[in-house]
Parts: sequence; C-alpha cells; structure tokens
Amino acid sequence: MGLLRYLLKRLVSILGTISAVLALSYVLMHYAPGSFFSSANLASAMGTLKMENAHLYASYLRMFRDRYGLNLPLWRQVLEYVWHSLSFNFGNSFQNPSVPIMVQLRTAFPISAGLAFGSIVLALIIGFPLGVVAALHRNTWLDSVLTTLSMAGQAIPSFVLAVILVFVFGVWIPGVVPVNGWGTPANAVLPIVCLATGNVGVVTRYMRGSLIEALRQDYIRTAEAKGVPYRAVVWRHAMRNSLTALVTVIGPSFAFTVVGTVWVENIFSIPGLGTLLSGAFVNDDIPLAITSVFLLCLMVMGMNLLVDLSYALMNPRIRLE
Amino acid sequence: MMEVPATGAPARGAAIATRASATRRAWSRYRANPLAVVGLIWVFLFFLLGIIGPWVAPHGYAQTNYLMANHPPTWAYPMGTDSLGHDMFSEILFSIRFALEIAIFASLAAFTLGTVLGLWAGLQGGLVDTALMRVVDFFFAFPAYFLDLILVTKFGRGMGPIIFALAITGWAGYARLIRGLVLGMRDGEMVEAARALGSSPLHTAARYLFPNVVSNMLIALAFGIPGDLTVQAALSVVGMGLNPPLPSFGNMIAAAGGNILGYPWLLYWPAGIFAVTLLSFLFVADGLQEALNPKGGY
Repeated sequence: MGLLRYLLKRLVSILGTISAVLALSYVLMHYAPGSFFSSANLASAMGTLKMENAHLYASYLRMFRDRYGLNLPLWRQVLEYVWHSLSFNFGNSFQNPSVPIMVQLRTAFPISAGLAFGSIVLALIIGFPLGVVAALHRNTWLDSVLTTLSMAGQAIPSFVLAVILVFVFGVWIPGVVPVNGWGTPANAVLPIVCLATGNVGVVTRYMRGSLIEALRQDYIRTAEAKGVPYRAVVWRHAMRNSLTALVTVIGPSFAFTVVGTVWVENIFSIPGLGTLLSGAFVNDDIPLAITSVFLLCLMVMGMNLLVDLSYALMNPRIRLE
Repeated sequence: MMEVPATGAPARGAAIATRASATRRAWSRYRANPLAVVGLIWVFLFFLLGIIGPWVAPHGYAQTNYLMANHPPTWAYPMGTDSLGHDMFSEILFSIRFALEIAIFASLAAFTLGTVLGLWAGLQGGLVDTALMRVVDFFFAFPAYFLDLILVTKFGRGMGPIIFALAITGWAGYARLIRGLVLGMRDGEMVEAARALGSSPLHTAARYLFPNVVSNMLIALAFGIPGDLTVQAALSVVGMGLNPPLPSFGNMIAAAGGNILGYPWLLYWPAGIFAVTLLSFLFVADGLQEALNPKGGY
C-alpha cells in the first residue's frame, strides 16, 4: 500500500476517534445532573456575574444558548459541537465568557508542547547511553544498578517526583533553580527533569533489551568471525537495528508525557494547557475542559502518526497496513 | 508455561502434578530475585495495614483539631497534623484502605470484563472480533486518563464513580492481551483435539484456553494494580480525586505541594509511602514476569 494512501487512512481514523471522544464527552456532559449547559450551571461557572451585572449575564446566557443550539435535538447539538471543534472554532469559556478559548490556548499550548518535547529529547539523550552501557555490561552489578534505577524511574509518577523536587530545591538547597512559576528558562528545568525521569527508564530498558537481542543475531556472529573489531560490530551492525526499534517506544512515551505535563504544570504553577484543564474541570467550565482534552489527545495522536511514518521510512521491511 | 494434557482421568492427575511442579519452579525463580522478595514483603505489609488500618488508627479520618493544625510530629500525632488538624498517621492508614479498595475493585472489574470480552473475540472471530477490536483501538488511541477525568466529572468524586471510571478505561488492555494469546492457540492442535472430542466452545475456553493464558493475565493484573493506584492519585493532582474528607494519597501529596515550604512532614510520609508502594508493586510484577514467563519480556 502506498505511503499516501496509508497516511490518508490514518488521518481518517484519527478524525473518527477524536470525533467520537468529542461526541462522547458532549453527551456525557449533557446528561449530567441538571445538564452542564443549564442556566444553573452556567450561573455557578460564571461566578458572581449574575449579581454584579444582570444585563451582561443575560447576554452571555443568550450567547451560550445560541452557541450550543440548546433548543435543537441532542444529535444536532452533538454534530454541531464536533464540527465546531474540528474546525478549531472553540467558542468562549464559561468562566471567562468575554475571551474566546482560542485566545487562552494560544499562550498555553506552546508551553505544554515545549515541556513534552523537551523532556522526550532529554530522555533520549540520557537513556540511550545508559541503555548501551547496561547492554554491553549485561549481567554485571552495573547492569543491575542501571536496570533497577530505570525501573524506579518508571514506577515513581512525575507528580510525586515533582513534589519531592519542590521540597529539595525549595527547602534543602534553595536558590539553585526556581520551584514555582514560569517566564525564565530556569523555570523549565525541574518540570522537564520530572517528565523525563520515567522516559529515561523506558528508553534505558528498551535500548538494553533490543541491543542484547541484536547482539545475539547470526549476522553479528558473522561480523565477529570475519574479524570486525567488537566496537565496530556494536556501533555499526547491532546499533542500527536497535535505533530503528527505539522510535516505536517514543509513541507510547509521548502519550505518557503529555498526561504528565498536566500533573507537573499544576504542581509547578506553570500556565500551560494542564493548568487550564484542571481549572476548567474543577470549576465546571465544560467547554474549556473538553477543548483542552481535545488538544492534548490531538497532540498524542499526531505524534503516534509521526512515529509510525518515520518507522516505516527507516525500516523498509515494515509494510504499512 | 504449563502444559495441560487434553483429556482422560490419568492425564488429569498428571496435569495436576505438572502444574504443582511448575508453580514450585516459578516460586523458586521468584525467590531468586531479591528485589521481588522485598517488594512482596512491602506489598504484604501494605495489604495488612489496609485491612487493620481503620481499627488501629488513633483518630478518625474526618476528625479535626484546629488548635493543633499544622503541628509537627508529637506523641499524640506521630506524623504531625495537616492544615485542618487531621492526624496524618490516621489519614495515611485510612488512605491505604481506600486506595487498595479502589485499585483492587477497579482492576478486578477491568480484568474480568477484559478477559471475557477478549476470550469471546478471540474464539468467535469475524464480526464480533472486528467490532470489539475497534472499540479497543479507540481506547488505545488517546490517553485514558482524560476519559477518566470526564467520567469522574460526570459521575462524581466518590469511591464508586472512580472505580467505575478506572474499570471502563482499563479493560481494553486485558482484552487485547487475551485475544492475542487466544488467536495464537485457536487453530492449534489442542483446541482441535478438544473440539474433536465434543467439547463445547465455552468448555474449550474455560478448560483449555484459560489455563494457558492465566500466567500472562496474572502478570498483566500485577502491572494493572499499581497503574490504578497511580491514576486515582493523579486525579487528585488536578483536583478531581476522591472527595474530601475521604483521605487519599493523591490529595495528601497534592496538598503538601502547596505548603511543604513551611510544613515538610506533610510530604515525607505520604509521598514516601506512596513511592515505596508503587515501586514494590512494580518489583513484584517484574518478578512475576520473570518467574512465570521466563522467555518473554526484557
């Protein structure tokens, strides 16, 4: 199957999945007690506006009624909602009705995306050599130390690590890196470290496993038998296959990291998508909540597509299906 | 993996003998892994505390003492108190109980649903298989955590809704695993022999297929329980976790993040115990993987 056809098929499936997520969220919210789009919930999400400025409140209420077509049958509402979201026309949030959601996202999205990508790059830079070292010293004390540490890195969730790091750099050794806020490059250090730790474990373990597997292959024995130096066998023959396989790890790791940014942003008070999302969920601001989920899911699916494509390009034996 | 002979009374006896010795071999492999043994001891302690915790806790989990709020550890409050004057020691004991209840019920529900649906899809094939796998793909296409958040927003932040949300998003992994294993055996000689002897599909699934996949499923379940512990705590990080005053590790850790600069004891115990527990569960799961399925995995 051609690359183009495969790409098209994948894009259609991404559209289908994301539409299903949006529709499901909308229907769930619609059938929530009293419906999230009812006047009562709008009033609570808009805070004290009802008391302060009844006229403005009424006009916002009208705006939301029209926006979500609340007098239409449910299936029409769902279709319109999905269509609006897919065309990136997100409307306004309940809490901050005068500002379109798009404006709020414009500053938040790059922060979250930067944290996620930065931590993946850091995890590859650290995890790759650790995995190679573990594989070349397999079944020694060094290997078991590295393997155990990488398991620990995977087991401790980034939010626990984040709280611990806030404590270490806030109380024990204050003043080295900021533990709160956003704005300077130093603010990104701790969040990226937190997010990368789990993935360092993943990359290390995977690299170790696949390199050991590659070193067992017949062509490695052939290369050794014909007198290729061990160093060249490892770097030129074994590593090439391990590297291609490493790409496949990035997909799941990225999904994991995107969820992690939501946690870590909340703990380090970073004004990204994750902070926006938690504020929206806590305050019943449904349009903003579903939109943040939509964007984060889109980020994950886009990355998975990229990973699959690059894997296919790097390894012609893999047929796209 | 254990071999189960097809039929017959003598063969049955042999099967039991093989299984017993296979279990013993697995146990000796497990014991050889010191981390797995240490992990198992901690997991056992954790379960024990979960069972007896509510009886030995010196204070109730909702019992406040504003005069002693944010107090460092004393004899009366061995782990200090939080900003509402809750005794942290009691909070932790109750948290272990609630965390275990949620994780175990959610994992078992997801496991059961996933096993039944996966067996069904694998054995039936055709339209059932295609439809079920589409649904599974849907759950794998985006992070389940977001669906958990939406479900909890909709159904509330009690124990029941959280268990429900975790189960709804958790079954797909088990279903995919068991379906793959069943597909590998469905057209094999064992199933053919069973069919030839007149075994019904349900009997084939229960008597021949399930015993052959059970070790892989156990490993998956062992990885699933710490996963559910993590996700339920993570819901608290964005403010959607178990509803206070019910205590939970997530709530304690998230709250500690806000004021550890002044009151570090609010962080030490919850974060320490939670981290050690997750690590222990992972060591146990990893040990099980090596013991039950020495060929697979890393």
